[in-house]
Amino acid sequence: MVMQLSFLEIRNLSFSYNQKRMVLKHIDLSVEKGEWIAILGHNGSGKSTLAKTIVGLLRPAEGSITVDGTLLSDETAYDIRRKVGIVFQNPDNQFVGVTVKDDIAFGMENLSVPRAEMIEKIAFFAEKVGMAEYLEKEPSALSGGQKQRIAIAGILAMKTDMIIFDEATSMLDPTSRRELMDYIRELHDEGLTVLMITHDIEEALMADRLVVLKDGAVFADDTAEHLFKRPEAFREAYLELPAALKIYYELEAAGDMTPPLATTLWRFGSGK
Amino acid sequence: MKNIVIGQYAPGKGFFYRLDPRTKIITVVFLMVAVFLLESILQVSIALFVTLFLMIIGKISIGRVAKGLRPLFVLLLFTFSFQIFLNREGALLLSQPMNIGLYSLLGVLVLTVLWRLLARFKKFKGLLFLFWLAGVYALFAYLPAIGPIFKVFDFEIYESGVVTSIFVVVRLLIVISLSTVLTLTTKPTDLTQGLESLLRPLKRLGVNSDDFALIISISLRYIPTILDEANKIMLAQASRGADFNEGKLVEKVKQIVSLLIPMFIIAFKRSEDLADAMESRNFVPGKPRTRIHELSFGMTDLVTAIFTVLVFAGAIVLRVLP
Repeated sequence: MVMQLSFLEIRNLSFSYNQKRMVLKHIDLSVEKGEWIAILGHNGSGKSTLAKTIVGLLRPAEGSITVDGTLLSDETAYDIRRKVGIVFQNPDNQFVGVTVKDDIAFGMENLSVPRAEMIEKIAFFAEKVGMAEYLEKEPSALSGGQKQRIAIAGILAMKTDMIIFDEATSMLDPTSRRELMDYIRELHDEGLTVLMITHDIEEALMADRLVVLKDGAVFADDTAEHLFKRPEAFREAYLELPAALKIYYELEAAGDMTPPLATTLWRFGSGK
Repeated sequence: MKNIVIGQYAPGKGFFYRLDPRTKIITVVFLMVAVFLLESILQVSIALFVTLFLMIIGKISIGRVAKGLRPLFVLLLFTFSFQIFLNREGALLLSQPMNIGLYSLLGVLVLTVLWRLLARFKKFKGLLFLFWLAGVYALFAYLPAIGPIFKVFDFEIYESGVVTSIFVVVRLLIVISLSTVLTLTTKPTDLTQGLESLLRPLKRLGVNSDDFALIISISLRYIPTILDEANKIMLAQASRGADFNEGKLVEKVKQIVSLLIPMFIIAFKRSEDLADAMESRNFVPGKPRTRIHELSFGMTDLVTAIFTVLVFAGAIVLRVLP
């Protein structure tokens, strides 16, 4: 019998920067094609390290990563990066091109995509992230949110199936953040697999599944609905609950909670 | 800091803008060499007119080029005076006895103070400087020899001094104007790409012009970002009591260190992030890549190349002919 692998399969993954302290400890995680997974964790829980390990920027000490049937190694890292892209936290530090057009082109240039095809794709993907009229602009003329959108366009143009957002919204103002999240939701609806690394629970609620990391290990892996039934899990993982849920649990503890109110509050908190 | 411009590039539509950057670079280099082959003042004057003519047909504002020359004014002046005073050949044109004494030096001091006081009228900067020079000359030459006199000498100008100084200055003017035209009409990115393409033969010697061009274009892209950062750090340090403008030299150096250290640390962090971002987008150093920018050698380039060859040949002929 052939075992059916998920799009991304992480098995028993461990990583350490200096041999002494393990940053990632025996992580198991699988992500199906088209899924939206949020990875939640406190500062130093190993979230970003996990993201870098998946695309082969860091070499694991132990364990395996398989993307779309390809086992990650030094030889296959190039192929895996064609399938999985990362949008990093700092919008400025990942803008390689001198202009928007150059930056979207950068990944395709590396893949030796013919020029005519590049021009077509740049127009298409710039339009897709709503930056079509900015093609000749320089990064200093763009806002953080716009730069992140350009980063997404550049990755999509490489025909990636999955994008990892490594706290990609954390340096943005609330409006740009909401806009970016809307774009991500749209792309996800069109079939993009999303792995969203964040410490913002409100943001994580948009995912199909939440993976909570604590001190480098998977602490919980479940749907939001199930996870919120055990608020103590969040507290133990040093995470803050959304305000509405906090109120809910306090009211519940006080014992004067009517079921319709509970549902309303839960809806308010999760945005669903 | 948002609108900082790197290089002198000024958008426009003239003839030079349509040229391939490679053509422009080679042309400028060859024309510069040609100018240095010229020997007489008549020849360089013609070359100057040709340069001006080219700028006019290329619709380049001569004012813009002149602006580009401004920082080199001191160099030009120095070259000019060096030649005019030290070259002592040919007929004697002017001989003026000069006295440097207490009163004339005091006069120079008063004049200098006046000049500096008026310096805020920036429009007349050049004119004021000429007035100052004329004043100093008049003081040394015509002030009666009263009071203590420190030195008496003859101020002499020879024919060949005048000729060579004009010659040298005109030649420099042409060379600088040519390079200004290049940088005015070529975007820094196009310039690096042109250079990269021209340096490609060096690959045999182990120099990778591809990576070199990428390094330059990334540096260009990060200059505004880093300047912006410098500004922020300076404000942050100023709010903690640092003063970057006043104080003794030692204090100033200390303040600069308080700016440089955070900047270095941030720059290293940035480059680490950038390396990750580039690698995650499949950049592999030295691996062949396609290009979104394409250089194309067209009709205008051919015409320019022929013109350049003709001018260069002409300069050689002039040099070789007796």
